[in-house]
Amino acid sequence: MRALQGLRGLGAVLPLLLLCFLAALRRSLEHGLSTAAPFKSLPVQEEMMTKYSNLSLESHNISVTAAPFTSLPVQEEMMTKSSNLSLESHSISMTAAPFTSLPVQEEMMTKSSNLSLESHSISMTEHSNMPVEKNITLERPSNVELICQFTPSGDLNSVNVTWKKGDKLLEDNYLVNATGGTLYTQHRVAVINSKQMGSYSCFFGEKKQQRGTFNLKVPEINGQNKPLITYLGDSVVLMCKCQDCLPLNWTWYGGNGSVQVPIGVPVNDKYVISGKHANETRLKITQLSEDDQGTYLCHAIFELGESEGHVKLVVLSYLVPLKVFCAIAAEVVLLVAAILLFEMYTQKKKKPSDDGKEFEQGEQLKLDDSNGIENSGPRHRKNESVGQ
Amino acid sequence: MPPPGGTPPPHPPPDGGWGWVVVGAAFISIGFSYAFPKAVTVFFKEIQLLFNTTYSEIAWISSTMLAVMYAGGPISSVLVNKYGSRPVVMVGGLLCCLGMVSASYSTNVVELYFTMGLICGLGLAFNLQPALTIIGKYFYKKRPVANGLAMAGSPVFLSTLAPFNQYLFNTYGWKGSFMILGGLLLNCCVAGSLMRPVEPKASTESKNKVGVRETDCSMKKRQKKLSVWEEINKYLDFSLFKHRGFLIYLSGNVIMFLGFFAPVIFLAPYAKDKGIDEYSAAFLLSVMAFVDMFARPTVGLIANSKLIRPRIQYFFSFAVMFTGICHLLCALAEDYTSLVVYAVFFGLGFGSVSSVLFETLMDLVGAQRFSSAVGLVTVVECCPVLLGPPLAGKLVDETGQYKYMYLACGAIVVLASVWLLIGNAANYRLLAREKKKSIHTKESQETEPLKTSQSPSVNIKSGKNEEWKGAEVNSSERETNI
Repeated sequence: MRALQGLRGLGAVLPLLLLCFLAALRRSLEHGLSTAAPFKSLPVQEEMMTKYSNLSLESHNISVTAAPFTSLPVQEEMMTKSSNLSLESHSISMTAAPFTSLPVQEEMMTKSSNLSLESHSISMTEHSNMPVEKNITLERPSNVELICQFTPSGDLNSVNVTWKKGDKLLEDNYLVNATGGTLYTQHRVAVINSKQMGSYSCFFGEKKQQRGTFNLKVPEINGQNKPLITYLGDSVVLMCKCQDCLPLNWTWYGGNGSVQVPIGVPVNDKYVISGKHANETRLKITQLSEDDQGTYLCHAIFELGESEGHVKLVVLSYLVPLKVFCAIAAEVVLLVAAILLFEMYTQKKKKPSDDGKEFEQGEQLKLDDSNGIENSGPRHRKNESVGQ
Repeated sequence: MPPPGGTPPPHPPPDGGWGWVVVGAAFISIGFSYAFPKAVTVFFKEIQLLFNTTYSEIAWISSTMLAVMYAGGPISSVLVNKYGSRPVVMVGGLLCCLGMVSASYSTNVVELYFTMGLICGLGLAFNLQPALTIIGKYFYKKRPVANGLAMAGSPVFLSTLAPFNQYLFNTYGWKGSFMILGGLLLNCCVAGSLMRPVEPKASTESKNKVGVRETDCSMKKRQKKLSVWEEINKYLDFSLFKHRGFLIYLSGNVIMFLGFFAPVIFLAPYAKDKGIDEYSAAFLLSVMAFVDMFARPTVGLIANSKLIRPRIQYFFSFAVMFTGICHLLCALAEDYTSLVVYAVFFGLGFGSVSSVLFETLMDLVGAQRFSSAVGLVTVVECCPVLLGPPLAGKLVDETGQYKYMYLACGAIVVLASVWLLIGNAANYRLLAREKKKSIHTKESQETEPLKTSQSPSVNIKSGKNEEWKGAEVNSSERETNI
């Protein structure tokens, strides 16, 4: 088992016990069941910082805080600075106290995927007027490190640093550092599900607050920007695609007005959902009618949330292009008739004079036969005019 | 100095007047023929999605259209030889319309191959060859200019059709667009109706009478000798394969076309590979088309000048060499600016080659046999034109870099140009020698009628302008030097 392998390098006893506990609980905790052992007193906080490389590592952190829990959220962070490691991490945060209204929050990394650490930073100066924003796209659960740098004009130490998620003030789990005239603040978030997504902002200063915002979002889905034009009785394929991501699942909704009806739930011939690769989905609609017009939404479900794309469908009748075709065909017929008539008219004008010329030509040719090639004069002129 | 041109047609070409209207009509026909297969690629993404196929299967539609357009050359030539340009172009327009309208009702890829590829391709073939042929019938002195102007139709139509197709797609979807495009292709019929036959009926009859008399008098031995071979030659002149100039042209062109079109097709992917964004990459092609548009008539004018026209074969070889060197230098291009410069020079080279491409053929074989010649040339060129891009694509896949493909294409084109240069130099020299010989023999046999020659038209050459007469004597020699 993987659990046993990695422990060889560690040699910590306490985590070992907890490890066994965890291994046993693993399956049940996957489904979000919460167990809380009544730890009555001390905050136990342990963090295992592992800076091993090239080891298959398991680290298990449990941070347990027990304190006046009336309103505090329990927050546990897992700091892992492991690179090139296949990592399994499990963390449980348990709260113990009057449990009456507290939400038990436990997050468990059940999908032991590579938890990578992403680091994003914003730098600001005192005089930047516009709030600085950075969009971060996350598909899988990972650790995100948000760093704000601030260069104040005055004294470093007098600047107050705060972090907010949305509108909620964050109490801890951020570091502040000052080196060489620049203030650094770092906030780490373990993004495991959609609750950790959102906007995180760092604020510098009291009176004139400088603000930097990190927007954590799920990847965007590309539907089709321009409406698809189709015709009655036709079939059409709507496609939604995600560039570099693999959603867990796709669903389609048809929007007629504001009502969104899921498509494909009663499976019938009219709608066929398929997809060649995991990052795209196709909806084939046959026997189109006027009612099928409108906007279709494709929902992509990620671990960290949902994202959707739009495809607009327009259904026209065949008469629309047919009218254009008939107009062009009529124009062509008119032009051809006009040109041919014009030609016949101009030829008629020449015809009476042509007959006389032909007779003369025949005579000249007879002469030429006998004389050879030299007799060029009169024939030259006549042929010129005929040729034109 | 070598003689100025090929055999002139039995009637002196008007070299103006209605001829310029015919150039306009040829502009439309040639424009549709070359631009249409490339411009329909706008619809392919949608069709691929609907018919659930791979992109390469859809791309074959365009290739099939081009292939049938080239391969249909001989059929077109036979029909033009028999019926003249006008009816063939009109039938071509109707075929194109039929093909596109039935394509809009198709339900799978195979039907598209048949309707768009085969029927529409055949219609386009019926547009291309007659348009080229009729220019030769209407122009002689100003023929390079007329050719250049008519060939300019290709880039003009391409730059107009591509965005227009996009607009049609956004407004009518692919089905409606195909129907409307079918209607637009009917305008080829308008172009066809403008292509008045050169010989008015009256003189044709007199010519026939004379021809018959001549055959009676001087060619009694040749009577009733129409073997199967000669019957076939009446429709499609296979004896061209014994024509030295034709063979040089054909071989040179086959080599050239192997490496000619691939650089155009891979320009945008090459740019994207270098990190340039999609729109700038597409802009490169627009730059090329724009330069091409203006290069063709300009080069036509240059080719018409007194200095160049007698040596037009050399001019063609140099234009090909210029294009080849452009491709070789493209391998050195690193950033966007150098690619734009390459696009400009490539447009220039591409335009100059295309402008005199058919003019040189007319110059070699003469306007009489041009219609058969162009049919035979296109059917043979079908192979390298179709094989070139996939082979280039394979080279890119193997080496992983576009640079080597450009080097290879450049080398092939330069090789073709060298071959054409040597071949034509030899040809010119041999022709001059033969001309000298025939002048000597002619001087000694002045009073006798002309020696037996293949075309009866030579006998009626008298009576035209003096220049004409001189040209005819020389060109008849060229014709006989098969």
